[in-house]
Amino acid sequence: MIGRRQTTGLLVLGACVIAIAGLAADATAQAASPWRHAYALPVVVGALTLGLIGGTVTALASLMAQAPTLFIRVEAVGLGAGAVDELVSTAVLLILGPLLGSRVTEARRQSERYATILAIQEALGDERPLPELLEALCRLLGDRLAATVTLAVRDGDRWIVAGADAPAGDSAAGCAIVTAGAVFVPDTGHEARPRRRLSTPLSVRGETVGVLTVERSGELTAAERRALVGLALHIGAALENARLAARQRRFADELAEKVRAATDRLATLDRAKSAFVAMASHELRTPLTALVGYSELLATRTFSSDEVRRQAEIMRRQTRRLAAIIDDFLDLSRLERGEAPPLRLADVAVGPALTAAVELLGGPQRATRVIIDCGPEVTGVRADPHALERILMNLLSNALKYSPAHSAVTMRAHAASGKVVISVEDAGRGIAPDALPRVFEPYFRAPEAVGRAPGSGLGLAMVKALVEAHHGGVSIESTVGIGTRVTLQLPAVP
Amino acid sequence: MATLVAALAVCAALVHSHWLPPSSLRVVTVAVVHGGLLTIAFGWAATSPPQWRPLGPSVIIILVLAGAAAGARWDPRAAIFYLASPLWLTFMTINGRLDALGLRWPIPVGGSLLGLAAGLTLGGHMLLAAAVTFGHRVTTDSLVLTAIAYDAGANVPSSELFFRGALFNRLQRRWSFAAAATIATAMGLLRYLLDPLLPRAPEVIVGMLVYVTLLGVINAWLLWWSGSLLPGLVASLVFFAAYRMVTAV
Repeated sequence: MIGRRQTTGLLVLGACVIAIAGLAADATAQAASPWRHAYALPVVVGALTLGLIGGTVTALASLMAQAPTLFIRVEAVGLGAGAVDELVSTAVLLILGPLLGSRVTEARRQSERYATILAIQEALGDERPLPELLEALCRLLGDRLAATVTLAVRDGDRWIVAGADAPAGDSAAGCAIVTAGAVFVPDTGHEARPRRRLSTPLSVRGETVGVLTVERSGELTAAERRALVGLALHIGAALENARLAARQRRFADELAEKVRAATDRLATLDRAKSAFVAMASHELRTPLTALVGYSELLATRTFSSDEVRRQAEIMRRQTRRLAAIIDDFLDLSRLERGEAPPLRLADVAVGPALTAAVELLGGPQRATRVIIDCGPEVTGVRADPHALERILMNLLSNALKYSPAHSAVTMRAHAASGKVVISVEDAGRGIAPDALPRVFEPYFRAPEAVGRAPGSGLGLAMVKALVEAHHGGVSIESTVGIGTRVTLQLPAVP
Repeated sequence: MATLVAALAVCAALVHSHWLPPSSLRVVTVAVVHGGLLTIAFGWAATSPPQWRPLGPSVIIILVLAGAAAGARWDPRAAIFYLASPLWLTFMTINGRLDALGLRWPIPVGGSLLGLAAGLTLGGHMLLAAAVTFGHRVTTDSLVLTAIAYDAGANVPSSELFFRGALFNRLQRRWSFAAAATIATAMGLLRYLLDPLLPRAPEVIVGMLVYVTLLGVINAWLLWWSGSLLPGLVASLVFFAAYRMVTAV
């Protein structure tokens, strides 16, 4: 590119050459002066540096400079070879200047358009919210186009507008949106210079997603308007690309977050399973040890019949405990496979079921008192008797495990619109609020319960699965320091 | 406008039937043509806010022009009365009546200097070309001053206010600069070709076509660039002053 100093230097040089050409020209000579070609220098320089205007003005200036000698020559010697030579030279310059200038201007405009498109792509590549991106784009276009630029882009149901207020329905921008075509207003007001305005839609795959409005005091030529319509298409596509890229980034972030959560959950589950294996081994070993010990005693020694009965009763209880643990494992395995526990539904009386659960867990010998409150209106539930027994025993054993000595555990039952509501309430330490939502998860044990009482972390998970298999529901309420209440609903006998 | 045309027709008929001397037709023509152009320009300016009634100012300018033309026929020194027209236009400009035509207060100094440079360049070139090429002399006698007064009071204001201030200004608010400048310049050229008060020497007319075309385009650009009509008025006045100095040998 030629700088301003070089341009000035070349123009001064051209002026000097013209002056020499003027002095050297002999208007009365037959042959034209070879110096006439020197006029081409400022014309070419003017066209190359200042474009169409420069080429035209310098060509006209060269005509004005040559005109006096040219007319004298025509008057002095007629339309001879020299005069024709000069006329042709002048005509060539008059064509050359504007033509070369217009090509230079067009090439510059093209270059500016590409630069603008690149700048737009760069501006929209930033990871910023859409309103900020549009504001930046408005400033960028305003600087490059030397105009006031407004951008309105549809974002779902709302319009994001940068550079001015939202386009009114009857404005040029509004018309451009409605008609999906460019709207040109030659003059927007009564200022000294006309203010041209062009509103052109931003389209993506034939759908109008926004509108670009360019307003300038002065000329906005047809070529510029055509370029702006093309630019709007680029902006529409670039905005859509930016939007898709942002969506992809959001999706990737969400996916990474989900993977991280799943990994954390798997790690937790893995730790819980390891803990469960250790605990299960311990739980299985305890009744097994009792069974092995008492069976060896019975095999190797002789006891009185009362003692044999007592030891047999202990072995029976340990066997039931072992069976219950193995049942839990089997049911859990079934649940993890997504299968519902097998149920044999029958009409089960609630009151006797509560009493049986209390008796199975030690009856009146226990230090903790169990109160059964079952109203006479409670008839029965439609349930699998064995499953109901497991549910009640799980709830009651939990309540007894975590209740302090000499406190009371209350088992209540009442009828409520086609259902029977059974609750088991203890006066234990309660469960922390953050652990409460997870107590029905398999293997989960509240941190304060771990090490304080034996347990597999499967009891409440089994209760929930069994109750839901009966089309019932279960919930838990707990207050730290006051106690815990588990409430379940089962379908009443019709 | 109908009244002006009717007055011109009546005057022509009276001159034809020797009721009035031939010189009275020239007086009425000056008043009707330049006054008519200014009246149309006032009418267009008056439609833009703040709106005003153009009748009074139009009558005043027509009377001023008629009086000056009549005085100049009687005694060339009375052409000084043509200068009442720019005074009246200045008064209207200060009152904001001619805003829509591009005449507003304060005046653009830079633009006016550019107009002066353009007028000097064109006028100087014309003087040089006329002297070198055709051997015309340059004169500054009292008739030149009379003609310059006529240009300053009638010719230049009516042309610039009508062809640039009203016509080009309106056209450029609908079409591109190139289209508006082409039409306004072509119309202005036509008006000069029909002006019986300009020199009729062929080479002067041919030269005038070139220079008036350039002047029209330059003045349109000056108005477009500066938003003011004053630079064009200055350029025209300087150019026509040079034009009046050319005397055929």
